[in-house]
Amino acid sequence: MPNSDKQDIPAIEIRGVSFAYPGSEISVLQEASLTLKRGTFAAIAGGNGSGKSTLCKLFNGLIPNYYSGDFEGTVHVCGVPAEGHTVAQLSRMVGYVYQDFENQLVRPTVFDEACFAPLNYGLSDYRLMASKALDLCGLSDLRDRYVWELSGGQKHLLALAGALSLEPEVLIVDEPVAQLDPQHARQVYEVLRRLNRDHGKTVIVIEHHADFIAEYCHEVCLMESGRVLWQRPTAEALNSLDDLDRLGIQPPEVTRAAAVLREMDNARTQSDPRSSLPDRRSAGRHAAQRLPITMDEAVAHFTTFMQSGNGNLHPSPARIPASDPDHAGLSGSSSNEVIRLQDASLHYRALRRARHQVLHALNLTLFEGERIALVGNNGAGKSSLLKLVAGVARPQSGSVTVLGQDTRSVSLEQLSSGVTLVFQNPEDMFIEDSVEAEVSHCLRRRAYPNIEASVANMLRAFRLEELRQRDARLLSGGQQRRVSLAIGAAIRPEIMLLDEPTANLDLSTREELLGALEELSEHVRTVVIATHDMQLVSRWATRVVVMHQGEVVGDGTPDEIFADRELTRRAGIAPTQTAQLSADLGIRPLCRTPEELAKRIAERMWGSPNERADRPSGNLTHKEAEEHAARSQLV
Amino acid sequence: MQLVRNWFNKISIERIQLELMNTAYGSGHVFLSALDPRCMILWYLFFAIAPWFLSNMIVLAGLFLLMIATTVLSRVSPFIIFVLCLGLVGQVGWLFILSLFFGGDIASALPLLKLTLKLSIVSLASITVFSGMDPERISDGLLALGMPAAFSFSLSYGYRILPVLFEEFRSVLLSYRLRGRAPASPGFLYARLGAYYLKMLVVAFFPLMLATAKRSRTTVEALETRGFSFGMKNPKSRQLKLSHLKVTRRDIAFLSGTAAYAALLFWIGAAYPLAI
Repeated sequence: MPNSDKQDIPAIEIRGVSFAYPGSEISVLQEASLTLKRGTFAAIAGGNGSGKSTLCKLFNGLIPNYYSGDFEGTVHVCGVPAEGHTVAQLSRMVGYVYQDFENQLVRPTVFDEACFAPLNYGLSDYRLMASKALDLCGLSDLRDRYVWELSGGQKHLLALAGALSLEPEVLIVDEPVAQLDPQHARQVYEVLRRLNRDHGKTVIVIEHHADFIAEYCHEVCLMESGRVLWQRPTAEALNSLDDLDRLGIQPPEVTRAAAVLREMDNARTQSDPRSSLPDRRSAGRHAAQRLPITMDEAVAHFTTFMQSGNGNLHPSPARIPASDPDHAGLSGSSSNEVIRLQDASLHYRALRRARHQVLHALNLTLFEGERIALVGNNGAGKSSLLKLVAGVARPQSGSVTVLGQDTRSVSLEQLSSGVTLVFQNPEDMFIEDSVEAEVSHCLRRRAYPNIEASVANMLRAFRLEELRQRDARLLSGGQQRRVSLAIGAAIRPEIMLLDEPTANLDLSTREELLGALEELSEHVRTVVIATHDMQLVSRWATRVVVMHQGEVVGDGTPDEIFADRELTRRAGIAPTQTAQLSADLGIRPLCRTPEELAKRIAERMWGSPNERADRPSGNLTHKEAEEHAARSQLV
Repeated sequence: MQLVRNWFNKISIERIQLELMNTAYGSGHVFLSALDPRCMILWYLFFAIAPWFLSNMIVLAGLFLLMIATTVLSRVSPFIIFVLCLGLVGQVGWLFILSLFFGGDIASALPLLKLTLKLSIVSLASITVFSGMDPERISDGLLALGMPAAFSFSLSYGYRILPVLFEEFRSVLLSYRLRGRAPASPGFLYARLGAYYLKMLVVAFFPLMLATAKRSRTTVEALETRGFSFGMKNPKSRQLKLSHLKVTRRDIAFLSGTAAYAALLFWIGAAYPLAI
């Protein structure tokens, strides 16, 4: 095991590695080279299929020892050449937590799981090692619990503890945010930070959520088509906007807002003959200046930026409507009610004859035409509420009325012709062997007219035509999500319920999903989404229902909800950076996109765009206008 | 009809899963779970094999009484007992009815009763062992008795993924129901509805298997990174895993008590040969 004089030896050193999986012609890695110092906290970022996971499988020898494809190049782990060492030997130094971490838990209880690896290596102090690992991950209190009783976040921490029990030098965590809600993801990251800072572990995360990278990582390695494009300190990396943009990685919202504002500032100073010389110089200074990447930096950045706007701060323009038009429309519309829950309660039975109450006498009425976002942390009862509405679960007391029918009096099959539930995990919906068959399954079973035409229509709307013959289980996450939406939309339901539709999507796919939601709004009268994704909420929803411990604790427009600090804190929801920043800068109503925020700051500093209509204001206001125009047509 | 409906509602997949998990793991505090698994397995082997070679009703009845006692001790859930009774009565009942067709009479019930007795002894012994000990202990016991490590691991892993499989199965079934069409009328004695559900249970296996296959890719890889195949060849690992097994006085008392009881039965049986 490593001595102190080995401190200079890098944790990971890869030279010119190319690799193709067995039976595949395409090289997943192409002459990838990378050196990671000991004690670093690195993020490996890149688009889908850029070889991130494959790269990480080099570190513990899974490639080329376990997957024996075409391999070239050299890999050193903590100074040890990977060649000639088995996966088991390398794994003593490298712990790996998978993206689908639930499948790596193989033992029944928490403590057994933590003991598993040390036991396999025949280490006689395995109990001590396991206890230590559990302690590091904050799971000591749960050591006698069964794995299936844990929450998703706890399972992830357990997978981490299982990897830590061998006291590896290097820890690799594959997309911790993908399968966890933000609160649990943060918890995992806090543990990783502690391991890195206090215990000197080298931590490598595969991650494309820039706000997490900004907050926790020291450096970023960007992958593009099997190569390591660059390796930069985090601040510099997240300022490389062009590269990130090209690879579909969204920089933090605050960075985007600052970038947009800088662009506007540059356009203004360069084109405006009236602007003074110092102004122009300041534009040059802005261009060189690094953009903020975290909330704290952003608050400081924008505050100085606004103060430097040579004092002619415009008061918040009164002509900005107090509330957004498409938000305001709905409370007055008082249209038909489609879902009504009356004192609905639900409990599940658990092991050892325990009872688990998930919903407490819930009262809620949802109306036609609303876009409802159901938010709250894990275990708040969001999914259970969706199940009640879909008729999958029946309330033990109280009643649920959907489209005028009491869910207890109709069968699930009957109810589901008007209501569709799209599962959190799209794979759970796949029961056929091709995309086309999946989409048409229900139509055929229920003998809808014009099946061919509607299936073709759906495949086109969700851009699945190319994939129609493929098995949906083998598609990528984003494609699977589109299939699941198409399955749900195909039967033309009146109500559509989506459980975490943006979970596990990379950002370009997320944008696609937003497009698909617009597509849905043409067919479906009411859409309810249970989500942790506050960007989605602020961009899409007209009504937000906040749940906490099985009760509704808040109900209003996104603006109202995000502005209520007490509520968001209690319910464990984190408003978007844009919303937080606009609140911190005193901009009301809260902005929904970074672009909007930048525009509003610009208006404050330099007046509204109308006042300076003669000035070119960059393509942004134009884009914004387009966006607003597009929005008002919806619903 | 309401009765049938109530039963339909009672027997949900969720319920079966719960009962199974309770049976397998809900036994931590039971007297039998404190016994050494090797002793329990040997004990079980005797009661699983011996009854087939016995025909003395007194001995069989005596063994049966013992099994009832141990089953009570293992605090098995009523649901499992119900399933067992259903199986026994169903099986033997059929045989009896068939025997009536072939010229049998009430006398033919007696040998059937003996068969039932034998079956019951074996079944109750199995229930005692599998419900009184959790799968981890059984797996350790098997490993200690010389079974290959891969086998004993698969046993404990098999139990471990049961909840996962059930979860998966439930969501597949749900998908079928959410996108399927139930028969408009339940049919005579709910026959149509029953057929609909049965068919669904069968077709649901295909997606379940595919989904499980996909999951296992990660599992197999993860096992490798956690030194599983290394551990299988490592005698030190085996030794450590089994170091917690100890035969105590309690085990010896249990085994010798059972042996003494069985010997007594055989002795009585020899004195009063009540063979049918």
